[in-house]
Amino acid sequence: MKTFAIIICFASTLLAQIGDKQLRQPLSDNWYQYNGSYDSRRHSELKQVHTGNVESLVPSWIFHVPNAVHMQSVPIVANGVMYVSQENEIYALDARTGRQIWDYHRIPAIQRAPNRGVAIWGDKVYFTTPDDYLVALNAVTGNVIWESKFAELSEGYCSPAAPLIVKGKVIVGVAFGDRGLNGILSALDATTGEILWSFHAIPKPGEPGNETWSGDSWKAAGGDTWLTGSYDPELNLLYWPIGNPSPDFNGDVRKGDNLYTESVVALDLDTGKMKWYFQFTPHDTMDWDAVQIPMLIDAAYDGKPRKLLAHADRNGFYYLLDRETGKFLHGSQFARKLNWASGLTPEGKPIRVPDMEPSLKGTKICPNSYGATNWISPTYDPGTGYVYFVALEGCGVASKNTETFRPGGFQYRATGDIPAPDETSRMFVRAIDMRTGEFKWEQERAAAHNFGGGLLSTAGGLVFSADYEGQFTAMDAKTGKILWHFNTGQRLNAGPITYSLNGKQYVALSAGADLISFALFDKK
Amino acid sequence: MGRDRSILLVFWVLGLCLASAAQVVKPKNPLGNGLEVVAEGHTLYNKTCTACHGRDGTQGDRAPALGAARRYFRLSEAAIFDAIKNGIPGTAMPASGLQDTEIWRIVAYIRNIRSTASDNDVPGDIQNGTRIYQGKGGCASCHMIRGQGGLIGPDLSSVGAQLTLDQIKASLTQSAPPQAGFVPVRVTTLKGEVIKGVAKNEDAFSIAVLDMQGKLHLFTKEELRNVAHEPESLMPRNLDKTLTPAEFQDLIAMLSRQARTKVRREQQGENEVGR
Repeated sequence: MKTFAIIICFASTLLAQIGDKQLRQPLSDNWYQYNGSYDSRRHSELKQVHTGNVESLVPSWIFHVPNAVHMQSVPIVANGVMYVSQENEIYALDARTGRQIWDYHRIPAIQRAPNRGVAIWGDKVYFTTPDDYLVALNAVTGNVIWESKFAELSEGYCSPAAPLIVKGKVIVGVAFGDRGLNGILSALDATTGEILWSFHAIPKPGEPGNETWSGDSWKAAGGDTWLTGSYDPELNLLYWPIGNPSPDFNGDVRKGDNLYTESVVALDLDTGKMKWYFQFTPHDTMDWDAVQIPMLIDAAYDGKPRKLLAHADRNGFYYLLDRETGKFLHGSQFARKLNWASGLTPEGKPIRVPDMEPSLKGTKICPNSYGATNWISPTYDPGTGYVYFVALEGCGVASKNTETFRPGGFQYRATGDIPAPDETSRMFVRAIDMRTGEFKWEQERAAAHNFGGGLLSTAGGLVFSADYEGQFTAMDAKTGKILWHFNTGQRLNAGPITYSLNGKQYVALSAGADLISFALFDKK
Repeated sequence: MGRDRSILLVFWVLGLCLASAAQVVKPKNPLGNGLEVVAEGHTLYNKTCTACHGRDGTQGDRAPALGAARRYFRLSEAAIFDAIKNGIPGTAMPASGLQDTEIWRIVAYIRNIRSTASDNDVPGDIQNGTRIYQGKGGCASCHMIRGQGGLIGPDLSSVGAQLTLDQIKASLTQSAPPQAGFVPVRVTTLKGEVIKGVAKNEDAFSIAVLDMQGKLHLFTKEELRNVAHEPESLMPRNLDKTLTPAEFQDLIAMLSRQARTKVRREQQGENEVGR
């Protein structure tokens, strides 16, 4: 009898419309969006799989994505259906069986990787294309409902990030900041595709912040919006991380702090107007995009409840901000190899070490241009109070030259860095205390030069990690001890997710060219 | 300085050459590709070309069948015109000796037997065809075009670019087995609930059913008492009888113009000789 009830209940929920109510729920049975939930903590309340039984986790199904390579896409799960994308393509799968329900292939397809995921709202799924269209498809059949262009391919823009949807607004960003293309973040109407507002990450003359760019350097300045941000429903603010300035390695032609590159900006959802910003690396010359996903945490700080924003930055420092005001609360160095700054001021500004910037002959700078962490997703576990992220310990020899900006999407980096010959490069999953930045534990990854995939934490006391070398591992969130691992046999570049259907918890991730979903071994 | 100038001149001349090369316009069929021209071309083709290429372009003992489902070296109107007028050097294909107007008619016919419906100027009242589609024909209750319509049948937003005119006509008039993703099924749950729809996917252990109300049901076979398949597609195949000839033609004209996604002919080798 119980079985019947479950089946009927399951079937009847399949066409439930996805709205504000669902997207605001804590992360549990579904995985509705790229970062799991609006707070981007990638922490699920599911705990059927836990530290005591994770050793029994086995593959439940595998779906091969034809022609995929090194997928960076995070699947979403809604109403029993999993949606996974790669550039120009979406596959809808039965999330219990991995069987395909529909697929969509865009024609014509401009081949520019990657695509990092889709979003869902109402009865539609949405994704962006390499030629800057937002495509809305019927979630049940994959029929295209409309396409809406939001940036210019001819100028060089493309759009790799998964959209974020809030209250019927689809928030989409652009790349590439390394080509002198100024960042734009746009909100499109989820029903019609109409552009409602656009935030320009590089202020124009007459706008506050333009004075932080010397001469005309603001015109080809970067500051792109190539990863998905976060949202606070109470404050109605979007928190979006902004990429590096162009040319990346030669700051001589763009003297000043170069706002709002290397910042997190807080934008009013309804208008796109900026409420505050915080810049992690003023006048960056090491390509340290600050796109690391801002995690929104409500917790006591200095004895009173506070709305916090936690962010471990590519520049090697960990930051805690008050997300109502943007006020800097705490900062600490997490990268051991760090020589470009001696610390942070009480306002959170880096105290730069003189001459630690790219030079004609080459300067050894730590961290290197990959950064002390990068775009791969962090996680926060309220149970332990720890922030987890992937950290790289490495240095580069960085040099600069002069390069002329060419419109149309050509590289505008003015050189780069090579691995420092006298330094090793090592990759870690690292846990730090959310409030103090105090080091708690770390677990080394096999791949020393590639970040690999992101992290997921669960109420089962676990942190899941996707190593570039192919090992998918589960660790004890308290200690970092490895409790389970599975060799996927493929490069891992994407973040894992978890979901539950018919009372069964699954853990899934994009692995190279396949999607793999795991569950506890079931004798049946 | 003098050397710099001559280098500049070389670049200028080179640029001019490249610019004019880019502006070369391949000749288009001056007679168009209307059905009348195609019919005249068909007659001419069967008089002139069949000794080698076979009747109606369907088979050839001595030369390729020009209307078969194969990949062709010559796709554009200009390339086909050139082959008929001048022959293909190094092959048995001779220069035809036909007048240019006759050649263009044959070009229209060859393009027609290879082309999708949207490549042809199918006659008919498109506005009335839309009314038939939405009303008397009953198409919109199952099919979607540009976001409007039902979900149970295939999306028709690009049907004119995907099917030939003959295939569109056949899909409205001739019975055929259902295509994958649209196989009609009737499943019975363990509790006895009956769900009727189409199978989006099925294997030995699971089935995804889109019911007639557009609701998706995902089952493992353990959750079902019975799965019954229907041999025929849900698509009515008698529209040539339920509609008047004029209404039927208007519907065909409307459907042939649905080409939201046009496959780029250049990507298929348009204007290329040999690949």
